[in-house]
Amino acid sequence: MSQGNKVLVDARGIACPGPITELVKAYRNAKNGDVIEVWATDAGFEPDIKAWIQRTGNQLLELRKEADKIVAVIKITAKK
Amino acid sequence: MVGVKKRVVIVGGGAGGAILANRLSKDEFEVTVVDKQPYNWFWPWLLYIAFRGSRRPIKREIRSVLKPWVNFIQSGASVVNLQDRYVELENGKRLDYDYLVIATGATVDYSKVPGLEKTVELFGNYHSTEENAWKVWQTINSMKEGTLAIILAPGAYRCPPSPLEGVFLAEEFFRRRDLRDKVRIVFATFYPRPYPAEPMNELIEPLLKERGIEYITFYTLDQIDVEKRVAYSMEGEELKFDAAIVIPPHVGVSIKYVPDNILDNDGFVLADKFTNRVKGFDDAFVIGDASALPVAKTGVTAHLQAGVVARLLQGEDAKNTGRTNCPFDVGYGLGTFVISDYYNPTVKYPINKVNHLFKVAFAATYWDMILYPELWNPVFEAFFEATEPAKLRQFYR
Repeated sequence: MSQGNKVLVDARGIACPGPITELVKAYRNAKNGDVIEVWATDAGFEPDIKAWIQRTGNQLLELRKEADKIVAVIKITAKK
Repeated sequence: MVGVKKRVVIVGGGAGGAILANRLSKDEFEVTVVDKQPYNWFWPWLLYIAFRGSRRPIKREIRSVLKPWVNFIQSGASVVNLQDRYVELENGKRLDYDYLVIATGATVDYSKVPGLEKTVELFGNYHSTEENAWKVWQTINSMKEGTLAIILAPGAYRCPPSPLEGVFLAEEFFRRRDLRDKVRIVFATFYPRPYPAEPMNELIEPLLKERGIEYITFYTLDQIDVEKRVAYSMEGEELKFDAAIVIPPHVGVSIKYVPDNILDNDGFVLADKFTNRVKGFDDAFVIGDASALPVAKTGVTAHLQAGVVARLLQGEDAKNTGRTNCPFDVGYGLGTFVISDYYNPTVKYPINKVNHLFKVAFAATYWDMILYPELWNPVFEAFFEATEPAKLRQFYR
């Protein structure tokens, strides 16, 4: 399997319509094996990203809260 | 220096560009608006062509909505050079500027979704042209049974409430024609909930249920097989339809910029969210849909940003609050507004008939308020002050 790309999505300061927009824009261009790291400040991001992982079947490698942001590291595995 | 006017070049004669041009003092500035085509469009009305068959005109000549002292040149911009401070027109002529304002809006890119171009040819859409909006009107008029899918494609799009406005108006259309039990309506979105902002969704999701509208969340549209009438998500989920109306991915208007690192991957211009200054430049601004800012692509954003840039150019201190005020038609003469700013999340602003009346009244004032900011600004200022999100949140939670 080829080594995936790593993409950083900085969605800090985005509340409406939401960090998911930025994630999905990166997801659209990603291939299986790629890793997307999302930075967000919107409090709704945490439940939303968990639900997104559950529904899309991609893999959540890491979800951590830092002083100034929430960081989610996602491995793309579910694309057809 | 007294007597020397500063040259302002505004690329784009839409709502933002025209409002800004008309607000700048003619004694201080020599303002030139450049647009590749002659019209100022009232894009929100595509919704009412598509779902109501409205024949109200949606365009006026840009020249007619600009103050007489503002110059207008109908030409595309072949190069916008921020380093050497000029805009090159199609005929090779260069306009030097002291200040540049990019107000080019957004356009749609069907190539991002395989099968989308054919889908639009067949069923139309309400985010691109009058012709495509009329095609939607034909689509819903010819539908007597089956599934109508309205799908929000992944990416940026104009007017956050518009996908669901189309859904609600389609439902009203079929109910009024007594076809509601034969036509199934499905809304598919890549967001976690039908309306992305949670407080507004608390009003919208129950309404969808009440009206028997189905919805699929986390649906990231990947491709459409028009012959088979199936839309596939990126995880392979299949959505079968008889007609599909897709909100297409939006991108920036393709113009050659120097330097080109002021653009994001979708061709939107990177900028400071408080001043609208283009990243790395003090004398260049971007307003409205053309910017890569994480704010709603909507006329009110362009309008308010134009006001901030006008004040900055005139040497005043001004800064964006990120205020949105998007009218949200939910059908049957009912509406609300999506109101938020950088500091306050979306307000759960009640649905009622008066809010819808505001939307309709605003549409009637559109060109007048562009041409006469001196008359309309106090009206808008009073409205925005009365509906500040920080105040509203105390009442609507």
